Amino acid sequence: MLFKFAFRNVFRQKRRTLLTILTMFGGFTLAALAIGLADGTYAYVINMFTRNQLGHIQIHRESYLDRPSLYKTVDHYKTIGEAVGRISGVEAWAPRLYSAGLVSLEDKSSTARIIGIDPVRENTATRFDKKIVEGRSLSGPAAHEVVIGRGLAKVLKARVADEVVVVSQAADGSIANDIYNIVGIAAAGDDMSDRTAFYLHLDDARELLVLEERVHEIIVIINNIDYVYKITGDIREKLADSALTVQPWQEFARSFYQAMQVDLQANLIMLLIINLIVAVGVLNTVLMTVLERTREYGVLKAMGTRPLMIFRLVVVEVAVMIVISLIIGFILSLIINYLLATTGIPMPFKFSYGGVEFTRWYSEVNARSLYIPGITVAVVALLVSIFPATRAARIAPADAMRTN
Amino acid sequence: MVEISGKEVIVARGVKKTYYDNGVPVEAVRGIDLTITTGEFTAIVGPSGSGKTTFLNCISGLDDVTEGKIWLGGKLLTCMSGRELSDFRRDRIGFIFQAYNLIPVLTIEENVEYVMLLQGVPARKRHRRVNAILEELGLGGYANRLPTQLSGGQRQRVAIARAIVSNPAIILADEPTANLDSQTGAELLDLMRNLNEKKGMTFVFSTHDAMIMQRARRLVVLKDGLVAGDEIRS
Repeated sequence: MLFKFAFRNVFRQKRRTLLTILTMFGGFTLAALAIGLADGTYAYVINMFTRNQLGHIQIHRESYLDRPSLYKTVDHYKTIGEAVGRISGVEAWAPRLYSAGLVSLEDKSSTARIIGIDPVRENTATRFDKKIVEGRSLSGPAAHEVVIGRGLAKVLKARVADEVVVVSQAADGSIANDIYNIVGIAAAGDDMSDRTAFYLHLDDARELLVLEERVHEIIVIINNIDYVYKITGDIREKLADSALTVQPWQEFARSFYQAMQVDLQANLIMLLIINLIVAVGVLNTVLMTVLERTREYGVLKAMGTRPLMIFRLVVVEVAVMIVISLIIGFILSLIINYLLATTGIPMPFKFSYGGVEFTRWYSEVNARSLYIPGITVAVVALLVSIFPATRAARIAPADAMRTN
Repeated sequence: MVEISGKEVIVARGVKKTYYDNGVPVEAVRGIDLTITTGEFTAIVGPSGSGKTTFLNCISGLDDVTEGKIWLGGKLLTCMSGRELSDFRRDRIGFIFQAYNLIPVLTIEENVEYVMLLQGVPARKRHRRVNAILEELGLGGYANRLPTQLSGGQRQRVAIARAIVSNPAIILADEPTANLDSQTGAELLDLMRNLNEKKGMTFVFSTHDAMIMQRARRLVVLKDGLVAGDEIRS
């Protein structure tokens, strides 16, 4: 009876009910979109950084990231890489070698970051071949080839098929220098890196720097980023080597991760504002309803209805509106988030975040973007209904029946 | 010390009620002593402002008294908690209001069964009782209609059905015919008189309707918040 009574009451003032439902489902949809867009953007950025560049997990010699050195190497990288590749959830791994050098082409020269890669593994792990904007990727076997970043090519005025000279310091203390053929120009999506990137085949880089079976970094790509901490633990356990550090992206790219966390806090403030609007809307409507039905509540009390039941009647009315709002909001948010996840929203201006350029906002369809707005809108609406419900329950029947 | 026998439904002693209208104290009831016994058909009459409705509200527990004591069915109202009063009104008092006060979103059947629902009467018994009452009051075909689909007279019949459905000890009616034309009002009064005579139901009216005064078997006249006359008719 209580539910039937409440349900019918909801549709007594159709326009007002519609307004309340609009406020609630509007709040729900806005919050769902805000979360979906934030998550979508973060997922895109994380993917750009991890999947396309840094990897989800990195293995280094201890303290390499704090104080990089040519001599802090991961030895026997093949054995380690193969052991890591057998861990459940690991999709790919790739070794990398880093050094700095001076690159020259005719009378132009520039500093460069020498990056030794295994092109086959790098293509699988970070789709290196997709970053080539001119020419081709490095050959499978080492062939004295180089792929340079777009920015570096611009500085050197280099083109595909040009020869460049690189000078660096080798691990044995000698001056490392050699000539390489430019076979491709790459754009990794990060202007800073492209300005210095000098990609060599790992074997060529090892020969140049006299590093034999050693590398500076092994990046690991996993199937599902949500399990990054678990798989990091599995790798640590498997390697059981205190001289090596195994870190998830949240640790080796800490400043980037922290910047995203700050952004998430800002999102919470937005969620708070949306809920405040919902609260004011619901409170206004329910108070109006209680005021309008003062006489009716008086009659119910005169007939012996206990105050608690009147309280429950008002709260159930709000709950009915919440359920309707959430169903509509759920469907609408799902559709809009799905559309925005597939097509995105073009930005009025381009902007860079951590060196990655963005032109569209993408949303993400996930449970978070539905249950967080659902719970917050429902809790806020129910909380604000307590005040008018208490007021209705406390109405003195004789006074109430004197009102028109 | 007041002695209450089983036949006395309402006993009011020294009842005073003062309320404040914009901060100005108004002594609506100034010391009423009144006893209503089972089976009475009593009209409390008096001009506007004489304290009829206020007194009715006091004896039904809808309003607190400023001073004095009221026993309803042998129980002292002034000692009851809010919850006890709610349960007491539910089980012992039926109300008929001038403006019918039916719940607009409930059907006629649901309006009538509402009190029984609060009492926790099983559905089948409720349904049987409600249908019998509606038939008795000539509302047999209206069970599934909404109050807005009925005339004023029919609505007041529903209000009567709602008031008597749970066999309360007393039915309090505040100006029950004020919104009705004289013919409908007379019909309803005959109906209530009939219920009083056949089933021994106790009715107390507050009114200034001459028709009720004619049909009442006891006339209590209020003036300026005091009993100015008490006439029992044969």
